[in-house]
Amino acid sequence: MRRRLQPVLLGLLGILVFLAVWQLASTVGWVNGRYVPPPTEVFAALGRLVLDLHYWRTIGNTLITWAIGLGIAGVLALVLGTVIGMIPVLRRYTRSTVEFLRPIPSVAIIPLAILLFGLDRESSLVIVVFATFWQIFIQVLYGVADVDPVARDTQRSFGLSAPSRFRHLVLPTALPYIMTGLRLGATVALILTVTGELIIGVDGIGRLLVQRGTAADYAGVYALVVTAGVLALIINLLVRVIERRVLGWHQSVRAEVVL
Amino acid sequence: MKRSTLLGGLAFAATIALVGCTDTGAAPEPTEAGPTETYQVRIAALPIAETGAIWAALEAGIFEEHGIELEILPAQGGAQAIPALIAGDIDFAIGQPMGPFRAALGGEEVRIVSNYANSLASGDSDVNSVVASAASGITSWADLSGKTVSVNSLGAAGDLTIRAAVEADGGDPSTIEFVAVAFPDVPAQIEAGTIDAAWVPDPFRGMVVGAGGTDLGGPYQATIPGLTVLTAFTLQSVIDEQPEMVAAWTAALAAALEYAAANEDAVRAAIATNLDIPEAAAAGITLPEFTADLSNAGLEDLVALAMEFAYFETEPDLGTIVVQ
Repeated sequence: MRRRLQPVLLGLLGILVFLAVWQLASTVGWVNGRYVPPPTEVFAALGRLVLDLHYWRTIGNTLITWAIGLGIAGVLALVLGTVIGMIPVLRRYTRSTVEFLRPIPSVAIIPLAILLFGLDRESSLVIVVFATFWQIFIQVLYGVADVDPVARDTQRSFGLSAPSRFRHLVLPTALPYIMTGLRLGATVALILTVTGELIIGVDGIGRLLVQRGTAADYAGVYALVVTAGVLALIINLLVRVIERRVLGWHQSVRAEVVL
Repeated sequence: MKRSTLLGGLAFAATIALVGCTDTGAAPEPTEAGPTETYQVRIAALPIAETGAIWAALEAGIFEEHGIELEILPAQGGAQAIPALIAGDIDFAIGQPMGPFRAALGGEEVRIVSNYANSLASGDSDVNSVVASAASGITSWADLSGKTVSVNSLGAAGDLTIRAAVEADGGDPSTIEFVAVAFPDVPAQIEAGTIDAAWVPDPFRGMVVGAGGTDLGGPYQATIPGLTVLTAFTLQSVIDEQPEMVAAWTAALAAALEYAAANEDAVRAAIATNLDIPEAAAAGITLPEFTADLSNAGLEDLVALAMEFAYFETEPDLGTIVVQ
């Protein structure tokens, strides 16, 4: 019990020290307290936001964009990654294309997205899906290709059908990779969801953040930054929990503690 | 087991918390129906004080009276509005006129259908002005020579009129280094010394001046007094396909702007609500002259100035672009 509690306590201590330094910096004047308000002001602003239904609806909008984006990217990446990963010819043919497309920063296609879909959620989804897809796709691709050669030879001599080959050989091998891709993708999807709200103006915490900035409410801006951070933290924890459930049998997870 | 109790507790706490919630974003109650023919119009407008005219008029039912069911999308910048028009996502955009000019030169059939707001031709303050940090020692337009000056977006009326004002004052505009800084970031950047001066509207002008900065006044007043700040524009294809809607919209917008000009308090109240700023802050904002009339908008002077400073390679044809 003590061993499980210790990291949590250490983590909390870290946060407290960070908040204390921040408070000190703003009040003593190492940074201008007007533009970098102390945590007491930021959490007061957060407290006011939390009592406003509009804030929760805004978070809901962010999460909807995030979930749809991650969902589309995940399904596409799983299907395409599996098909391309399992067929060596396809892998070779697509490699240069993938290596060309993958590094394109998603924000660079924002103008194109607006041109295609306007100022609504669809535009945001374009950049979310684009960025998230590669994160998961690459993992699936490598995961599917990582099948142990001995196991592959064994299944060959046993003459397994394609579906059961996938079920018993490919999936168990690729699953840890897929979960890694999902974890990376979930965070990247949130980053680009907020980016879309900041730049395109899709409803969500990013847009609210710009609005608070325009109103010169700097404490409000930081309160929304904290909100985004907490969202990312919750999402990460959720994915970790799912990972533990799905990969409970796998050695990479067995020894690990979630928090 | 522990986790489910925790979740249950959280859900309970959330329910309790939500009971005490207010809702500033709730949709207003629908009012009585207006004319029989209604058009659904989607526009992009910047989430700034100037949009207060539309918010106030919308609340007063002006658009409803004219058969316009209005939806306002808060575009984050002029650069987003024109692609959204081309995508067919919005019918009109409210933005500064250099955007449509550039788009027209780029081959898009952008049409300015109405004025929206003119800057103030005279008076102590204008809707935006150039403020300089005390440390920079800038006290006149000519002093801006060789300094770093920020505008919210480069290549628009802000830096153009600043160049002209500096030149008219005997300075050398070619030595000014213009940088793009978002208005909310200006006070901190001035203080940090990364920029010497900035072109800003309220409340950021007040923040810089309050911290000891100098207000040089409005570059519009110094060059083209009363130059339009925002216009309403669309595409020729929209005008061709839905002429009745465009006519209804321009009539509604004219009425809305007339209402806004006559009801300053309503505009300020709408700004306070929609931008979620304190009433006192909204009261201190310098409002532009809301008008649909393009005759005193100074567009010809703006084009001439842009040509003089080589902002455009070819001259945008106002006769085609402006269709009022």
